[in-house]
Amino acid sequence: MAAKRALTPKEANLFKDLLTLYETRQLKKGLKTADQILKKFPEHGETLCMKGLILTHMGQRDEGIDLVKKGMRLDLTSHIVWHVFGLIQKGEKNYEEALKSYTQALRFDKDNINILRDAAQLQTQLRLYDSLVETRYTLLKLRPTLRQHWVALAVAYYLNGNLDQAKNVMEKYESILKNIPDYDVEHSETLLFHVRVLEALEEHSQALSLLDTNAKERAIVDKTAIMEYRARLLSASSSTTGEAQEGEGEASAAWHTLIDHNSENIDYYYGYLASLGLHPTLSPSYDSTKALETLQTLSTALPRASFPRRLALTLAPSPSSEDTNGTFHTLAKPYILTALQKGIPSLFVDLKSLYTDQGKMEAIQGIVEDVLRSFDSEDTSNAEIDRDPSMYIWTLYFLAQHYSYLASHPTLPQPSSPPYIPSSSSSSTPPNPSPYPTQSHSLHLISLAISHTPTLPDLHLLQSKILKRAGDPYGAATAVNRARELDGQDRFLNGKTGNALMRAGLVKEASGAPGEVGSGSGGGGGQQGKGGVLGVFTKKDAASPASDLEDMQSLSYLLEEADAQRRTAPSNLGLALKRYLAVQKIFTEIQDDQYDFHGYCLRKFTINVYLNLLTWEDSLLLHPAYLKSAISASQIFVYLHDGTLFPSFGILGGAGKDRGGSGSKGGKGGKGGKGGAGEMTDAEKKAKKKAKKAAAAQKEKAKEREKEEGKKAPQAANEDKGLEPPAPKDDDPDGTKLLVCEDPLERAAKLLAPVVKLLLSKKDKTSKGKNASQKRMKGYGEIEFWVTVYDVAVRRKKFLQAIQALTQAHTLDPEHPEVHLRLIHASKTVSSFSSSSPPSETITSTFSSQLSNLLPSTISPETHNSQYLQKHSKNARAILASAKALEMLGSSTKEEVETVVFGMLGSGAGAEGVHVDVETALEGLGYLYSLASDEKAEEFRVKCDERFVSSTVFKSEQEQGKLRDAVREEVTRLPGEEKEKGDGEVSG
Amino acid sequence: MTSSKANNSRVSFASLTLNNLGTVRKLNSVLFPIKYTEKFYEGILSPDVENFCKLVYYNDIPVGTICCRFENKDEQVHLYLMTMGVLAPYRSRGLGSQTLQLILDAAISHEKPSINKIYLHVQTSNVEAKQFYEKHGFKQVGLHENYYKKIVPHDAWILEKTIEH
Repeated sequence: MAAKRALTPKEANLFKDLLTLYETRQLKKGLKTADQILKKFPEHGETLCMKGLILTHMGQRDEGIDLVKKGMRLDLTSHIVWHVFGLIQKGEKNYEEALKSYTQALRFDKDNINILRDAAQLQTQLRLYDSLVETRYTLLKLRPTLRQHWVALAVAYYLNGNLDQAKNVMEKYESILKNIPDYDVEHSETLLFHVRVLEALEEHSQALSLLDTNAKERAIVDKTAIMEYRARLLSASSSTTGEAQEGEGEASAAWHTLIDHNSENIDYYYGYLASLGLHPTLSPSYDSTKALETLQTLSTALPRASFPRRLALTLAPSPSSEDTNGTFHTLAKPYILTALQKGIPSLFVDLKSLYTDQGKMEAIQGIVEDVLRSFDSEDTSNAEIDRDPSMYIWTLYFLAQHYSYLASHPTLPQPSSPPYIPSSSSSSTPPNPSPYPTQSHSLHLISLAISHTPTLPDLHLLQSKILKRAGDPYGAATAVNRARELDGQDRFLNGKTGNALMRAGLVKEASGAPGEVGSGSGGGGGQQGKGGVLGVFTKKDAASPASDLEDMQSLSYLLEEADAQRRTAPSNLGLALKRYLAVQKIFTEIQDDQYDFHGYCLRKFTINVYLNLLTWEDSLLLHPAYLKSAISASQIFVYLHDGTLFPSFGILGGAGKDRGGSGSKGGKGGKGGKGGAGEMTDAEKKAKKKAKKAAAAQKEKAKEREKEEGKKAPQAANEDKGLEPPAPKDDDPDGTKLLVCEDPLERAAKLLAPVVKLLLSKKDKTSKGKNASQKRMKGYGEIEFWVTVYDVAVRRKKFLQAIQALTQAHTLDPEHPEVHLRLIHASKTVSSFSSSSPPSETITSTFSSQLSNLLPSTISPETHNSQYLQKHSKNARAILASAKALEMLGSSTKEEVETVVFGMLGSGAGAEGVHVDVETALEGLGYLYSLASDEKAEEFRVKCDERFVSSTVFKSEQEQGKLRDAVREEVTRLPGEEKEKGDGEVSG
Repeated sequence: MTSSKANNSRVSFASLTLNNLGTVRKLNSVLFPIKYTEKFYEGILSPDVENFCKLVYYNDIPVGTICCRFENKDEQVHLYLMTMGVLAPYRSRGLGSQTLQLILDAAISHEKPSINKIYLHVQTSNVEAKQFYEKHGFKQVGLHENYYKKIVPHDAWILEKTIEH
């Protein structure tokens, strides 16, 4: 082998040149040089690899990679060929494999600095901190004179949790440093990192003295960081030693300085209170009166700071009802009145976190209702309130949000007094009096505000939100479009309009390409020929607003469109999947993006933000958008696997109808494994066939396209195209291929797996970590996630994974309707073990024994289900779950199941006061359709339509179609082009 | 948005652009019994009249509008006040006076061409409006019979004020 590698001196020199040419990216020259060598030594593996690498850079990827592979085969013991191969794999973002190649390369040249450095970056990306420490250690040994290598080793130790070693390295490093210039930012960063290590070791006094010495010597230059570290370290050292007022005093002073510096940082206030022993949760001797006094002093000293005033509202004790002179009331009244007078739109958002406390919520309601009353009473004696017209609308605006929020959050404490309805002279008829807040109340208030001041976009936007909550997506779209028309340069309003249109089923009008929009209005140019509404702010040369928004990584858009596609028709499920998967892709890109920082940040010594970045990346996948897309896509994959109908979840209830007609007895994967296909209706089989055909046709087309493009491949420009493969052609623009994929469950499992790993590892760690993860998950349900993991795992016959997921969900909320449904499913699965071929003795017994921890095996699932229904007879979602469970158990008639579903609307005996919202009712309706109970479903729909007065989603399909057309016309017409044609020009 | 603060800190003005034209349309539809043509909206966006066509904000909420155009008569330049209005709940707070004063000031300092007078029509039922303009130095100079075709009363007063430079 080695003989083959030998070159004559001339060629050996040429090879050296070749390497330099590549390093400096002189690709064309490099290629020539490689060819020169190959003329004499056509079998020279290293040269072949280099040529392949250069070709890849020049965009001739396939040819290049072939050459690399050929070169490798010729010289398997060369570090160069492995390095080249590693580079190619790294370019493909295949980090695991690339690291393997680098490891191979190092076997043949263990002290190669370049390869070691690249390997370290890969190890960081893959979070292989053990081997990272080794690599960094080798690098330091090879080049101890490089400052970077010292710090890099300390960082590796820190990441690997070897804090003591990290500290040792930093001490050694600082002891040998010489000639540091003043105000050196890089040195300042490394010192701060040293302090950080000591803080993590809880060596507070050491950290403090290091910090103070270097701060005094101006070696650490980041002043805010110094103050923050000082305050934290002083607090920590006084709390661990428990010693002395003096230490406490110093800590408080440090926090106080920070507050003076930036009076709107929450952490500073909590730090300050904690240093005084007045932290509401951390301080054992917490005294709310003293805490409030402290905040009062701060607000006096900092009159412009809003946060101490706001924090006082959180810390004030819960007022008893009717107590209008209590602490909370005294604090809240000026806070609210000032904001209403100034017209601060975010006041409600600011205050709503207080609503978990009934007393505070009622006090707030009382204060704002009083303001409104004083406006209504025409009584000018109340000097406290200036009768300012703008204050009047902000008051209405607040109350409308207040009632709507309470009405859509029934689990929050509700006010005990009925809502105040202002008398009105306007056309809007007041709603029927009701003891509790409803969306109708809010709608009344907001329409009062709009007729008072029709030019404020916020009011229309809120009207849209309330209508959405009330179940009227069409009205919501029209309302937000009115807001948009008032201010053409407001991107936020534009985006909101796009979202509302998609919710109303008008995806093309939201994000379609220019040619696709405006079919309803008979030409007229629509959005000035820009395509959907969202196109106003997207790139003009993009194929469609949709494609630009995807390029710009707009998560909210992708999720909104995916949901919209999922709601409209079963044939659009492919598009929905595509959009959910696009969200997944964005997160992968974000993870890939951190790669360059592993090298860059250490080179630039920006260590502290870099470490924060790594921590952030580590829990990136708990982002609500990632979770939502993973869960939703998995649900679709599960339904594809089961071959059952996809239940209508969405707001377009009427659309559920064309999914009727299937006798899908298998229901929620009751049969677990295969056999789904047998349950499809003819119509669906047809649809599936069609999809397959379309997919095949597209494949053909794609092939042809490729061929054509292959012909006109551009010849060797000297342009560096990098090692990243170009984005593959999208040969499935409508997601039809996804719908017929062979391995839906495996795909789902792949989406869920990283989050499972993340959540379990967080739970293993300290309880602190667990809290953090739950906080993160709050936006999108962790329960829903585990339930989905269960659904996928049980169908893949991964029973241990399934029961683990179910246990996790059960721990979070044992009574959750979705958990209940899975418990029943699991117990059914257990009973099927004996009859069908069992997976294995140990697995089945583990599954059953763990299940019996969650659901006592002494009670039959049937009994358990009826007990559950009794226990939650007022909860519509629980009723629906128990109906589904009843169907799954298979021992009840369809009529019995239907009767349970109707219980959601309180029609059953003694079921008065069932709380049901629009969304749950829609799910119930979709479920009835999926039972093929068309007549019953129709009855249910009509009942819902009567019950939800402001809703339109329970209208018949035809009526909804008309409403949708009206919205389409509204958004696609030109400004000024209104229904009634105006008369001639008149002025004055 | 170019907005200029007036004396009263709660009142401000903004020039008209294609983007806030929707707000002008909304105000006109609420304030006046007449539907204005597209030609009207094109005209008020013209750069020549930027200082004479404004949105009026109260506490950052658009609540009023004023729109004028130039007319050439007998080698004189007149500023014709086409529309002026403030939403009902925001009246009697000096917004109208401030707005009119803004336009009058702009008219006085306007050169090339310099403006000779400003005039307008008021429907004969609108006594309040007439008094408002008279308070600001306008004089009734005539009656235009059957000025309004579709609204009653059909007649309009003509009021005008000479611009003193």
